[in-house]
Formats: sequence, C-alpha cells, structure tokens
Amino acid sequence: MSDTCFRCHGPDASSRMAGLRLDLREEAISRKTQSGRLALVPGRPDESEIIVRVFSTSKARVMPPVAAHKDLTEKQKQTLRRWVLEGAKYEGHWAWQPVRKPPVPAGAGHPVDAFILDRLAREGLKPAPEADRRTLLRRVTLDLTGLPPTAEETAAFLNDKAPGAYERVVDRLIASPRYAEKQAMHWLDAARYADTVGYHGDNPFPAWPYRDYVLRAFRDNMPFDRFTREQLAGDLLPNPSREQLTASAFNRLTRMSAEGGIQPKEYLDKYGADRVRTVAGIWMGATLGCAECHDHKFDPIKSRDFYSMKAFFADVEEPGLAIDRGPEAWGAKLALPTPEQERRLAELDRRIEDARNALAPMPEDWPKKMAAEYTQLKHAWRFQQPVSARALNGAKLTIYGNVRMETTFESGGSLRTETNWATGMVVASGPNPDNETYEVMLAPGEGLWRSLGLETILDESLPMGRVARGGDKLSITAIEAELIEGGRRSPIAIKLAQSPPMTHYLPAMAVLDGDPKTGWGIAEYRDARNSLLALRFAEPVRTSRVSRILVRVRHDSETRRGTLGRFRLALSESALAAPLVARVSLKTLSTREPIPNKELMEELWYSTQAGYPQLAALEAERAILDHRVARVVITKAQEPPPIRVLARGNFLDESGEIVEPAIPAFLGGIETGGRRATRLDLAAWLTSKDNPLTARVQMNRFWRQFFGTGLSKTLDDFGAQGEWPTHPELLDWLAADFMSDWDMKRAIRQIVTSATYRQASYGNREAEERDPENRLLARQSRLRVDAEIVRDIALSVSGLLAEEFGGPSIRPVQPEGYLAALNFPKRDYSASHGKDLYRRGVYVHWQRTFLHPSLMTFDAPSREECTVNRVASNTPLQALVLLNDPIYVEAAQAFAARAIKQGGATADSRIAWAFEAATGRAPSGEEREELLGLHRRAAASLGGKPEAAMAIVTRALLNLSETITRN
Amino acid sequence: MTLRRAFLRQGAAGLGMVALRSMLRAESKGVINPLHHPAKAKRVIFLYQAGGPSHLEIFDPKPKLASMHGKPMPDSFTKGQQIAQLQGKPLVCFGPQLPFQRYGKSGLEMSSLFPRMGALADQVCVIRSMWTEQINHDPAHTLMNTGSILPGRPSMGSWLLYGLGSMTEDLPGFVVLMSNGKGGQNQPIATRQWSAGILPSRFQGVKLNSTGDPVLYVETPRGISHSLQKDSIDTVNRLNRIRHKQVEDPEILTRISQYEMAFRMQTSVPDLVDMSKEPKSVLEAYGANPGDGSFASNCLLARRLAERGVRFIQLYHRDWDHHAAVKYGVEMKSQEVDKPTAALINDLKQRGMLDDTLVVWGGEFGRTPMSQGGDGRDHHIKGFSYMLAGGGVKPGVVYGSTDELGYGAEENPVSVHDFHATMLHLLGINHLRMTVKYQGLDVRLTGISGEVIEGILA
Repeated sequence: MSDTCFRCHGPDASSRMAGLRLDLREEAISRKTQSGRLALVPGRPDESEIIVRVFSTSKARVMPPVAAHKDLTEKQKQTLRRWVLEGAKYEGHWAWQPVRKPPVPAGAGHPVDAFILDRLAREGLKPAPEADRRTLLRRVTLDLTGLPPTAEETAAFLNDKAPGAYERVVDRLIASPRYAEKQAMHWLDAARYADTVGYHGDNPFPAWPYRDYVLRAFRDNMPFDRFTREQLAGDLLPNPSREQLTASAFNRLTRMSAEGGIQPKEYLDKYGADRVRTVAGIWMGATLGCAECHDHKFDPIKSRDFYSMKAFFADVEEPGLAIDRGPEAWGAKLALPTPEQERRLAELDRRIEDARNALAPMPEDWPKKMAAEYTQLKHAWRFQQPVSARALNGAKLTIYGNVRMETTFESGGSLRTETNWATGMVVASGPNPDNETYEVMLAPGEGLWRSLGLETILDESLPMGRVARGGDKLSITAIEAELIEGGRRSPIAIKLAQSPPMTHYLPAMAVLDGDPKTGWGIAEYRDARNSLLALRFAEPVRTSRVSRILVRVRHDSETRRGTLGRFRLALSESALAAPLVARVSLKTLSTREPIPNKELMEELWYSTQAGYPQLAALEAERAILDHRVARVVITKAQEPPPIRVLARGNFLDESGEIVEPAIPAFLGGIETGGRRATRLDLAAWLTSKDNPLTARVQMNRFWRQFFGTGLSKTLDDFGAQGEWPTHPELLDWLAADFMSDWDMKRAIRQIVTSATYRQASYGNREAEERDPENRLLARQSRLRVDAEIVRDIALSVSGLLAEEFGGPSIRPVQPEGYLAALNFPKRDYSASHGKDLYRRGVYVHWQRTFLHPSLMTFDAPSREECTVNRVASNTPLQALVLLNDPIYVEAAQAFAARAIKQGGATADSRIAWAFEAATGRAPSGEEREELLGLHRRAAASLGGKPEAAMAIVTRALLNLSETITRN
Repeated sequence: MTLRRAFLRQGAAGLGMVALRSMLRAESKGVINPLHHPAKAKRVIFLYQAGGPSHLEIFDPKPKLASMHGKPMPDSFTKGQQIAQLQGKPLVCFGPQLPFQRYGKSGLEMSSLFPRMGALADQVCVIRSMWTEQINHDPAHTLMNTGSILPGRPSMGSWLLYGLGSMTEDLPGFVVLMSNGKGGQNQPIATRQWSAGILPSRFQGVKLNSTGDPVLYVETPRGISHSLQKDSIDTVNRLNRIRHKQVEDPEILTRISQYEMAFRMQTSVPDLVDMSKEPKSVLEAYGANPGDGSFASNCLLARRLAERGVRFIQLYHRDWDHHAAVKYGVEMKSQEVDKPTAALINDLKQRGMLDDTLVVWGGEFGRTPMSQGGDGRDHHIKGFSYMLAGGGVKPGVVYGSTDELGYGAEENPVSVHDFHATMLHLLGINHLRMTVKYQGLDVRLTGISGEVIEGILA
C-alpha cells in the first residue's frame, strides 16, 4: 500500500486527497468517505470503500487512479481483500520495532546457517555444497582483503588438512592491514570521503588523515559505537585527542563551494542537508532527504523532523562561501605534525626569532623614502631582450620582441582579460617533459648589476594556473646565473631571493636552498597575477658591452611538467628593485612602481642588513617544513545559529518555525532534562540498545559485502518503500548479536565462517532457476569485484603492488588533459612517482567531479553524496580500460616477467602459473591451448624477447571475466 | 565480419542461439517499449551554451530596458529575489548592448549579430520564458541536466538511452563534446553532468575528446598491432566462453558482447573523428577546422554522430559567463556559434534528418537586466531564452515572454521540468511514466512537476 496508496493517502498532509489516511488504522476505520462508506471495515471487505474502489471497473472510480500508473494486479487485489476479511491488522513497520534476538531454528550449528536452511527447507530448496578449496580461498581473501591469495597462501591452505584450516585463514585475513583497507573502501563511500570539494572548481582540500583514521579504526577493530561517536562528535568529547578530532572530519566531508557570487546562506543549507541525508543513510536507513521540502510521502517523517536533525549540526562551524586558499582555507583544520616535525619547527621558531631580533628595526620614514625613490626610478628593473634561449630536455623556447599579449586573470569570482605589450618574452612550446631546464643568454651592455628579476607571465593556453605547462603547480627549483666574458664563465653568487607578498606555494628562497625537490612557484593561484621574483647578487656584477649573463632556470621537482610557460628576465642596478606583483605587468615600461605594501617595505629594509639572507633561509626552511605537515579539516563547535523549518526547502523563507535538535518524532525522543541535545547525544542514541535501526542497517550492509545483496536489498531505505528483508529473523539475530559488543571483526567473522557463505556459487541448477537473484542463498553469488579491487588484482598478480598502510593520497597516471574542463584554478595533473604509482585503489586521489577514469568506469562513486550501494555494471568502456589503460599494460608486462621467472622453463608452464595467479585455479587443457596459441601468434608477430609475447598472454589473463569476478 | 556475428554463428555454449540473440538485442532496446505515443524525434542534439548566455543581447529585445538604462532597477522586480554576485550592490538597469532586427517571414526579432541563426527564423522556435531555480553554475547545470540538484540523478541523455535504447552497436548512445571560448570565461563542467547516476553506468554519456584519445583508452597500446589486438580480444572471448560453459553465468555473455563492442569502437571512433572525407564546402559551411576542438568542429561531429545512430549528443560550448564586458563577450561568442549552429541545422535539413532530430540551443540560466560593474551582467534565473529546431517542434514561433525589463518569465513560463517533459514527449515518452525506483521514490527526470509545452508542438 505504501507504493500504491500512501502518496495520496499517507503521511504527507500537503498531498493528501479526500482527507483520507490509510497508513494509520485508526484513521482508516473511522473516516467516512464521500460514498458514505467507511474507508475500511475490518472483516467486511464489501463494505470497505477501499476494496470497492480497488475492484471498481469504472475508469473514473478505480483506485489507484488510472493517471497514477500504479495498477494493481489481480493477485494484489485479492490479497488486499483477504487482509480486510481477516481483520485488517496493522503491525508496526518492521524496521522501527525494537530489535529482539529471535530463537535460532534448530538443525544447524551455525546461527546464520540455521536461519538460511530453515527458509530453504520451507521453500523446498537444497543448499549448494561447499565450494572447492581454491575458490573458497580466493573468495574469502578477496572479500576480506580485496586482494587475491598468493601462490604460497593457496599452497598452505590446500596442504592444511587439520580441522579449522578455513577458520585459521579467516583469522589471518582479518588480522591483516589489507582487511582494514577493504573495509575502509566501503565506509569511505558512505562517509562521502574525497580529496576535493566537489562544487564548481572542485579544489583539493585536506581530508586524507580522516581516511587514515578510518583505516586504523578497522585495523584496530574499534567498536562500532565508539567509531560512530568519534566521527559525529569527536570534538565534543572531553579533551579530545588528535585521533578523535581527526574523526570529526566526518561532518566536514560535505561538498563545499568556493564559487564567487554564491549566497552563503543557501550553501550552508545545502551542507546541512547533506549531513542529515548522510547520517540517515549510514545509520538509520531512512530517506530523510525527502523531508527537506515536504513531509515524507511514505514514512511518518515530517519536514520538521528533517530540520530537527539538521539542528544537531548547527554548531558545525563553516563558511557558506568556502575559502579556498591561505591559512583559512576550508575552515577549521587540525595540523598533525610528527614529533620530529614538531621539534624542528620549535627549533626553527627560536632561531628565526633570534635572527629577527638581531636586525635593526625599520625606521619610520623608510617607506616614504623608498616610495619617493621608486618614483624617481632609482630602483628600476631593466627588462632584457635575450640573445638566445634553449631548453635542455626537449622543449622549444622562442624569444619575442615587442608583442601584444593577452592576460586572463580572475577578479572577484569571474575572469577578466587584459591586453598589453611585452618585450623580451620567452615562450616555451613543443615537447613537454616532466622536468626541464631553461638557459637564457642576456646581453645587458655596460652596467653594474645588483639584482636579477624573473617575471612569470600568465596565458590562457597554459594548463596549470595559466602559468605552468602542466602539473598541479609551477615549481622552479633553482635559478643560477653565470657571467661570460670572452671565453671565461664565472658563476654569479646569489644570496637572496624575494617573491612578492601573496599566496605562493613555497618561499622564493627555495630556489637557492640546493634541494632539487623544493621550489618556488604557484599552486593555489586564484587571484592570478604576473609576478616578478627578485634575486640579489652577493656582489655587484659589472658587465661590458660584450659581456653576457647566462641565466639557468631549473625545474627538477616531483611535480611533473610544472615548468614555466612564459617569462621575462630583468636586471637592476639596485639591490632594492622590488619583487613585484602586477595584474598588468606587460607594459612596455621597463620600470614599474611596486605596490606600496608595508610587509614588502619592511622586507626590503631588512634585506639591506647582513644577517637577513640567513633569516630568509631559516624562514624558508620553516615554510617548507610547515607545508609538509599533514592537516585535516575538523569539526569545530560554535554557538549554534537557529535552524528554521524551510517551507519547500526555500532558504529565502524566514517564516518557518525554529527547531531544536531532535530525532524524528516517530522514533521517540532523546532525554536530556531540558538541555539542548548535541551531536554526542545523537551518537549515543544511534548506538543505544533500544535504537531499532543502526545495527540492522549496518549488518545489512556487511551482509551485502559477502553475498552481493543485503538481506533487504534497499540498503539505505528501511522505510515503508524499502524491501522487506528476505530473512527478517536472521537480520534481527545478527543485529542483536552485533549490539552486544559492536565488534565489527567478530560480526564479519561470523558471516564468513558460515556454511552459507562457503557454498559453491554455481552448479545448483534448481536454485538458479527458481531463485535467479539468489535471495534465498541456496548458493553463493558471483560478483564482479569493485573498481579499486579491479586495479588491486592487476597490481597484485603482477607483483607491482606497493603495500603500504595509509598516507597522503596517490595519483595514478591518467590521460592527459583529463582535468581540462576544470577551472578556478585552471589545472593539470601530476602523477605520483615510484612506488606510489602502484598503491591500492583505496589510496587514489578522489577528485569528485573528475574521478580517475578507470575507477569511474568500474562504477566507483563520485562520493559527492553518501553512497551505500555500488552498482556493478558491465560496459564496453570497462573493456577499453583493461585493454588499453597504461597501468594494465604495465601490469601485464610485469606479470609476464614474473611468470617467466617463477613459472618454470616452458611457455606452457609459465602460462599455467600465470593463469593460476590470475584466477586462483589451474587452466583446463582447452584453456591452456587457447593461451598457448595466442602466445605463439604473439611471438611470431612481435619477435624479440620472450617477455613481449608473454605480456600479450598476461594481458589477456587480466582481461578475463573470471579474473575480475569473485566466485 | 564482426566478432559478434562470428560469435553468433558458432553459438554460445549452454544458451540457444535464439536466447542469445534476444539477450544481445534486449540490451540495445529501451525500457519504454512500445513507446507511450508515436515519437516525432529519434535523437537530440543539445548545443549547450554553458556559462549563461544573455537573453537580452541575443533573443529577447527590450526597448523599455534601453530607456531605463542607468536608472535604478525598480524594487518591485527584485525584492526578495535571489541574487548572485550583485549581492549587496546597487541594482541599476542596463540596456541591451546589441541591436536587434527582424528575420524571416515570421519576423522573429533577434540580435543582428546572429544573422545566420536569424536566417533560420521560419524553421526554429524561440522560447523567451524559460526560468530555473539555481543561480550558480554548478547546481544550475546539474538541474538543467538531471532535473535535480542532488548528485546521483541520471542526466537527460542517460534517461533517453535508458528509455529508448541505442540505435548503434558501434558507438555509445550518449556522447558529450566540449569546446572552449576565446574569452577565457570557461566555467568548470563536472562529469556529473553526463552521469547515469542511479541508472546502470552503460547509460552514462561518453566524452569525446579533441586531444589525446578521442574516447579515453580507445587506442591500442603502442607496440600492439591491430591484428594482435583483435587476436587478443578473440582469445579473451573464447576463454570467457569456455568459462561460461563451466559456470553458466550470464554476466560472462554480457562481458563477451561488451568486448566485441569495445573492439568495434576501436575502429568506429577513429572513423567518426576522421573528417578527411568531408567535402571542403561542408567544412567551410561550418567553419570547421577538424581536430581544433572548436564548437564548429564539434557541430560537424554532432552531425556525424547523429548519422551513426547516437541517441543524445550534447555539445558544451563554454565561456558565456559575461559578468564583465557583455557586449564584447557576446560579439565574440556570436562569431564562434552563429555560423556552426546554422550550418548544423541546414545540414541536417539537407540530409532529411532535421525532421527526426531535436536541436536545442541554450544554457543553464540567463543574465540580469541589471548591470554588473558597469559593463556586464550577473547570473539570472527568473527569465531567459532557448531556441529549438526540428524534431516535431513548431517552426517560426516565439513562445512565451518576459516582462518589459526582461527580468521574469511572464507569459507562458517554461520551467526546466517543462522543458524536459516536452523533450521526452517529442521522443515518444510520457515523462510521468518513465521512472526508476530509488530510496523508495519513483524517480523521474521531471521530479514532481513538468508539463508538456503544447504551444510549441508542430
């Protein structure tokens, strides 16, 4: 009746027809309808209006109305009639009744099996036999760790003939950190964890330490009630630990928008609503989101309930218009320095303070004096027209004379373009290597020089922030200069580098620190401006008419292609020529006035003193170190603003009632003795023994992991429209058992040690025919593994997998230009290096609006929204990924090398070895022949080394349906 | 001979020929079967002008606004209404920046800067009374594409593919193309905009790229010849068939057919983007320079996709976000879009395809009649314009209007859901009857509202 009747005769008053409610018995049996009949007369179907109308043959009279397209089948009509005849009993909705542990049916040792077998017996179905040992081991290993078993693990299990061999395997797997990675993957979908904010510019934000918190919680088997409490309210616990504050990031994983011109209030509402949907989805299996605009159509959830739930989170401090740069970016954060970092930072702070104290303070009249001198052009830059320029690793450098150039920059939320004239501009084009060094030759003529300037020039064609040729930031790691007099080359010592005061990636001194990994550059470069870096010579450099100065700009950092796209070089006779930032810097003028800025004036003053370069170096070291300190967004409680019920979800409507934090009224209330309920109270209620939902919902989700479908398949809807569980008593038994200790490992172990779990997945023909969806579980299910596991399997069998636990997100190689549709900032992508390229899928950088295409193709969710149920589709794009994504090609090659090394001496034995590694079983004769044939043809086609032909075979193996299926 | 045919000839073990055929066919059939009513259009080409084109400079002449130029915007229009970047700023009327003229027999009034689109006046329908609910780009795109602002709802192309099925076995049925403008106002577009959301992902849009692989991973890795690739796929499929014989899992058969389609795509996609056989006259008509990723090239690609049976073709053309210098900006955009848009419609007509192709031209919202910064216009949701052609739309018609200042849709307002309902109607679908169960709801593209716009049906 929920699906067919309640839309018009249910809980939502605004869409109720004829004033009639059928979801409440009292209403249904007492309400006279227009015909004069009561809607429902228990025991007398023919006197009940609903039965009369349901059986009506008149198109105008029949219920549900024709226009609703909810026609009842004859069987449904008869059922309804019988129900009325039998007294029209209403029972409370199953999921909202208290959980009581039902008695376990007799006849099986394992409670799970007892319930399943009981139902199968009633249905007249026989369970499948236990799967063979190889299949079983691959199944349980994939399910518990997301990785296939190794050859050694398989051999050990096959040889372990003692009783309890399987249970020992389960214990080994559950104790493994890989188990935590697999569980975290599922939880992170639900918690909508990602590395970027999702709206508009989809900028990165610091969230990965939360992922590590989740990993540790699963590894250390944190009880589920504590896990719940720390995530929802870690910040409200007494003296919260770092761990607990990190957990509270959960509330801050909503999408956030930094789009200029958004109405902060509207977005605060969006963030708040997201929290309600997420909590309802994860813990309550309730579609509370529906009640944002109206009372729920099917469940007794009022709009007021939605906003009362939202009120629990009113104290979460956050900006509506998110700040995307600088120390305030993304609101409240927690720094997580390692003890070593902490010690070093403190030491640097001391030394910086000493060095600062040793400097003479800036005289009051200095800024004025400088301003006057700048106006008199005493500290002018002289832009140079280079005589030659080359790049050492393949890029092409072109020198321009006086040309018209367009610069696009962001201004107050939109983009502006200005056209100016530039002289001496050097433009990089052509090949775009990861690292590159530019050498530019200047012919300055006669002069005495104290400063070298490097100006970065923005251009729309440059994919990273309009400044670099790629990567996720510009990174200039070193700038060197040489004086060339005739044949003599002598290095010019540079003592100080100064950048304009603005949001830069790292300090200018990083170009002088001798560390090729650290560099100056621009990352979160939103108010993009051309900027000029000033480098001070240790000694003045005298040049004659024929002298040359060679300037070398190195880009050697781990940022791939973070190389300058366009730049100019300048010299100055003054050591006080200012580092500049200018929206418009391309003017023909070779000199410009700096923006009057106290910070800059002060820095220039200090730079006249001998001790300053050392101070600058210390400050640079501190900034670089600080940049490496991990940070995470956290929940910071504020005085909660009032939360109003918004009519139809309209944030502009200020007329709604103000509500206090409360759980949906139909589920009861939280007793606080008049105190405003908090997130801690909410967490306590969610995990209290009389909460009917949390344990059922969580156990149902666990069940899905191990059978492919929940006992109720609507994982996030336990309401009237949700699916009634196939085995309600089993779900209740599991829930009651889980609530006894909230021990997740024990709960999972219980499921996977059942005979039900251990059944064969095929071969039970009768069950396949009568129960094609396998809801009765007379066999196991065959499941295509999740996106991350598709990757993990290939990495694992090829031996490429780097097993490391936790840490910053990693970036696999992805197609060039994949992020080109992003902006604010415009950006490119820089793949990780070394072993980070081969880490598990759970660690992949999660770009919400442009998730890595291979993961997306295999149905990994964007995590813009709480997701508890992934689909497993089967598409041609998946074939293209497995065939052609470079990581799978590389895996096939490594897999081939492994097969040659470990698979014996012949192609035949190597193929058999590889087949077993990929699928967990030995190939049949027919399968062997197929692969040998492919190997032969590949060898003939490719010639050369045996690896090449074998890699064609292993690539085929990675593409087998069986390889990405757990049986 | 395609792999699929080879497969069919040999037959799949454990499954009769007939069963297998019907399984493969069922996959390309839609769920709306038969159609709810006869369809006028078979496919849609949506020329999506992203960023918010100014209706006041293109489709919606407002002499009254010109006469009010520089005067405060009357409070009666703006009070209590949403506002984007003009929050807290004085609201001043800003007259139309470009001249309008009458076109065709119908006398359609449109900007003089769009003469080629104007010349199609008697073949197109202009809606001047669109309105939407979301005032920022990201959610406004999401609403226009999916009918909802919650991530996870299927986009309209996915709905169509789900409802109607695919008309090609060589290409995806929903293809997305993207081009940038020269003005640099290229607002981000998320993959969410072409996501299948809660529908199976085989219904998601596939983005066609102008650089790199035209479809991600469609190119065979270096060092592997076409024949070795085919051999590998054939072997994989034979091994999968052996496995199917062992376990009789129908998913394996689906996997086999997907590998066949993947292989066909490896040929059909390069063939699709290879424009070398297009006559020079056609390239010139569009102003297309193949491979440049421009809107013009994409329009030509759209025709080629339509010819090849792609159901929903969506071209995003970005750079319409004219907060500043709207006059200059629209001038620049007119040079990018006028010619290719008209060329596409003419080309479809010439090939007899316009009758069953619905062409849509419009963006996520319009722009304010108030000035921003003295020369621009802010985001605006209460009234803007769309242009439609072909596919059962009444030609030579202006539908609906905004008020005298071009602020709010006044006569015959058209919501996003109305637009979706009409589009589905033209394709033979009753929008009320195409639903998917999700979280207890019968989710549909049109949410809980939407009326077919009878006034624009041919």
